[in-house]
Amino acid sequence: MKHVIDFKYVDKGSLNLVGGKNASLGEMIKAGIRVPHGFAVTTDAYLNFITATGIIDNIYGALVHMDPEDIKALDQVSEKIRSLIVKTAMPVETQKAIEKGYEALSQEYHDCNIPVAVRSSATAEDLPTASFAGQQDTYLWTIGIAQVMVNVKRCWASLFTSRAISYRIKNDFSHEDVLISVGIQKMVSAKTSGVMFTLDPTNGDLSKIVIEGSWGFGETVVGGYVNPDKFIVDKVTKEINERTISQKHIQCVYDSGKDEVVHIDVDEEMQLERCLIDDEVQELVRIAKIIEDHYGSPQDIEWSIDKDNPFPENLFIVQSRPETVWSQKQSMPILGGKSSYQIMMDRGSKRIKIQ
Amino acid sequence: MTNKTEGRFPDPHEFEVPAELKGWEDMYPSHQLFSGDREEWEKNQFWFQDKIHAPEAIPPLDHIFQEAWQISLSQYTTRVFCIPPAQGIAQRMVGCYLYIAAIAPPPDEVQGAKAERFGARVFPVFQNYDELWEKWLVKFKALGKEMDELKIPTELPEFISEEEVLPAPKGYYVSYDIIEGFDRLVNMMFKGWQYHFEMLNLSYLAYLMFVDVARGLFPGISESSIGKMVAGANVAMFRPEEELCQLARKAFSQSGVADILKGDGSANEKIEQLESLKDGKDWLEHFNNVKTPWFFVSCGSGWYHHEGSWITNLDIPFGYIKSYLEQLDNGETIERSLDKIEKERDEIVAEYRALIKTDEDKKTFEDTYNNIRSIYRYAEDHLFWVEHWFHTIWYAKVREFGQLLVNCDMLDEVDDIFMFNRYEIPELLTEVSTGWALGVDIPMRSEHYKATVAKRRKILEAAKKWNPQPALGIPPEEVAEPFTVMLWGITTDRVQDWLKGVDAVAGADVSEIKGFASSAGFAEGPAKVLKLLKDIVDVQPGDILVCASTNPSWAPIFTKIKAAVTDIGGLTSHAAIVCREYGIPSVTGTGIATSAIKTGDTIRVDGDTGEVTIVERAA
Repeated sequence: MKHVIDFKYVDKGSLNLVGGKNASLGEMIKAGIRVPHGFAVTTDAYLNFITATGIIDNIYGALVHMDPEDIKALDQVSEKIRSLIVKTAMPVETQKAIEKGYEALSQEYHDCNIPVAVRSSATAEDLPTASFAGQQDTYLWTIGIAQVMVNVKRCWASLFTSRAISYRIKNDFSHEDVLISVGIQKMVSAKTSGVMFTLDPTNGDLSKIVIEGSWGFGETVVGGYVNPDKFIVDKVTKEINERTISQKHIQCVYDSGKDEVVHIDVDEEMQLERCLIDDEVQELVRIAKIIEDHYGSPQDIEWSIDKDNPFPENLFIVQSRPETVWSQKQSMPILGGKSSYQIMMDRGSKRIKIQ
Repeated sequence: MTNKTEGRFPDPHEFEVPAELKGWEDMYPSHQLFSGDREEWEKNQFWFQDKIHAPEAIPPLDHIFQEAWQISLSQYTTRVFCIPPAQGIAQRMVGCYLYIAAIAPPPDEVQGAKAERFGARVFPVFQNYDELWEKWLVKFKALGKEMDELKIPTELPEFISEEEVLPAPKGYYVSYDIIEGFDRLVNMMFKGWQYHFEMLNLSYLAYLMFVDVARGLFPGISESSIGKMVAGANVAMFRPEEELCQLARKAFSQSGVADILKGDGSANEKIEQLESLKDGKDWLEHFNNVKTPWFFVSCGSGWYHHEGSWITNLDIPFGYIKSYLEQLDNGETIERSLDKIEKERDEIVAEYRALIKTDEDKKTFEDTYNNIRSIYRYAEDHLFWVEHWFHTIWYAKVREFGQLLVNCDMLDEVDDIFMFNRYEIPELLTEVSTGWALGVDIPMRSEHYKATVAKRRKILEAAKKWNPQPALGIPPEEVAEPFTVMLWGITTDRVQDWLKGVDAVAGADVSEIKGFASSAGFAEGPAKVLKLLKDIVDVQPGDILVCASTNPSWAPIFTKIKAAVTDIGGLTSHAAIVCREYGIPSVTGTGIATSAIKTGDTIRVDGDTGEVTIVERAA
């Protein structure tokens, strides 16, 4: 049994072993995309944990006859299961595998305790745990093996939030069928982060790449805490059609004193400074096109630019998922199958509003 | 400044030109002047200065082209191809500058009647375009040849020759030939301009159809991306420059020839030296083979007699050849790679096409694209044949009349003839004929004409120093006329920017100017504001060219400059096309760049967004 597996060795076929998010990271590595290095704690490791320690019966036993509308009972059970998972010791072989993986990652970056992001990656993509992963189950800036272990267990425990439990019951998912993997990934020491879409989310224009970014970690952009800078780039000609520079008041950074990720004010002179230069925009566009081509559908991508490495080695893709809003719509002809004669007649009778 | 704006530009009837221009009205036909009897109608039109065709003050005879295009362009829209909501473009002169207005749509019943004809007449032209273009070129070349062969007497004989009297009198003589000759010359010019618009409106229509399709499929697609898909590389207007490159290449391989051409002498001195050399003779033969028609290219736009042409100023093409040879010595490439440009264009089109989801949309895209690709040839090529080749022949012929008038002491200089409009010149010629017919020692009104020339030259000088309003009257609610949008780039945003610009130029400092993002890229550098054509020689490598509009024969300077900014011009303006070809950024149709920017200012040009920023004012 593999307790951990390097991202390099997973791909979209590894969904059951490493969950959707980790599988996608492996897939991008295969496509030649620069993704921060790391490894996944497999679903096998999780399953082994609950079986070898015997807590499996306590967990699933507590969930029998659960009423998804009974919030109070749900919260109590959720709390019980999650604390059980967190306080139960991990099997030694799993611990060793994670330790080895973390050490190897640290060595790779010539650091003894490399800061990592610890993220859950569930096998059922439509679970709320997947949708809310960015906020609930990501532990940024985790340092040291002890903390990594704690956060791995927290990620496992996130499979049993009240919300996740009630969602499974309501949607007829068996609790036993949904498994969880954890990704442990080198933290990007981000000077700038953000998201990008390989279409224009405002009008579905497939010839555009829209990039939004702000200072620090991407949380401020994803969570909507700042008005990000926005760049619209033509996918074909690479022309930057729009650059909107916003006032970016706050940023999300790691505070080493407090040992946590905090929101701080952005220096005044930096607030109106553009967070990406054109070369960085173009490199993001280049990567976005590769990712989109690889998946064969419009993507919603999270990226970060490391403050330490030189450009373009400092540009990392943290996540990519399919764009859903427009992608589901566009199977109808937009122009209604008009002939050029009809287009001519339309244009011939058109007036252009001037005011 | 008195000409303030509040959502509108000055009323043309209240607007006053500078006092130094007094008497300008006499230079132009009366139908071209704002007048009290047409005030009601004129007041309600939106008049903007046509900097594309008339960036400079217009000498009276050069005004003929304007008169000719007003009729021709408008008739194809209103009466020939019948574009339903579109009417013609009206012209007025204000202080030696041309203002134009796209007339509001006609009543519904007229539009209905036009719509039937429109569909039936236009589509076949699109479909048979290739054949029509071949025919067009044949008839246009024949017209130019006819004009070139027109015999114009430059001297009047003391007595009519024997052959014209015996055995039977010819019946009409040189006095008639002069008058008829000028009439024919004018008529041929009008005919050429009738031909000029034969397919041009339609090519713009085809372009707008493609824009509709591209915007429908890709709502955010930029103007410059569309331009990139449409623009051709192998275009007649680029041919003169290509011929120069070939001549430079040929000389480069014959060192004796290259040495002469790299010398400092005049073109004529160089030609003399080349004739003494075997390789030189060979080179000259090549030169003579291509100079007709390819050096019948104006040094400017073709719209002004004083611009001159390569064929009449051989120093200019020889100067370009010299600088090409120097570039070749430095191991640089002088040619644009046509294959590369076409390949890039095809790749861009293929990439956009690949983004289209459904087969139906793909088909609509392809149909309209193929349509514009084939008909666009005309939009690009007619410029050389009409404004350059044909006008160059015209100027030469007019100068023969000028020579006649000088020889008859009616004028001091050959080019003084351009100080009279096309209605006035027959008067001068009639007096010449009359004086000759009346016998010897007949007094003529030479002094009157010479005084008129002097006065008008002064007015034109004063007009050049004046910076006319970009527009007059009330901005319209809508425009249906394809040229207004395509060529002059008149859109809501543009008019609003002009209004802002007018206010700003009138009062405070402007630091940001907006125009069409017509060629992508980003550049910062010193501005070189070109108000007069002759200043083109002052353009330095690394300058950003700021001008009313650019001209095809300036092509060689596009290898020097970093970017171009123009007052007027849409996506298919020359500046936009050439900048795309040379891969330098351009912003066109800013309306006010030449008045807001001063030479030496540091400016930043963003060809992706259409923004021009004045970073630092010249000291």
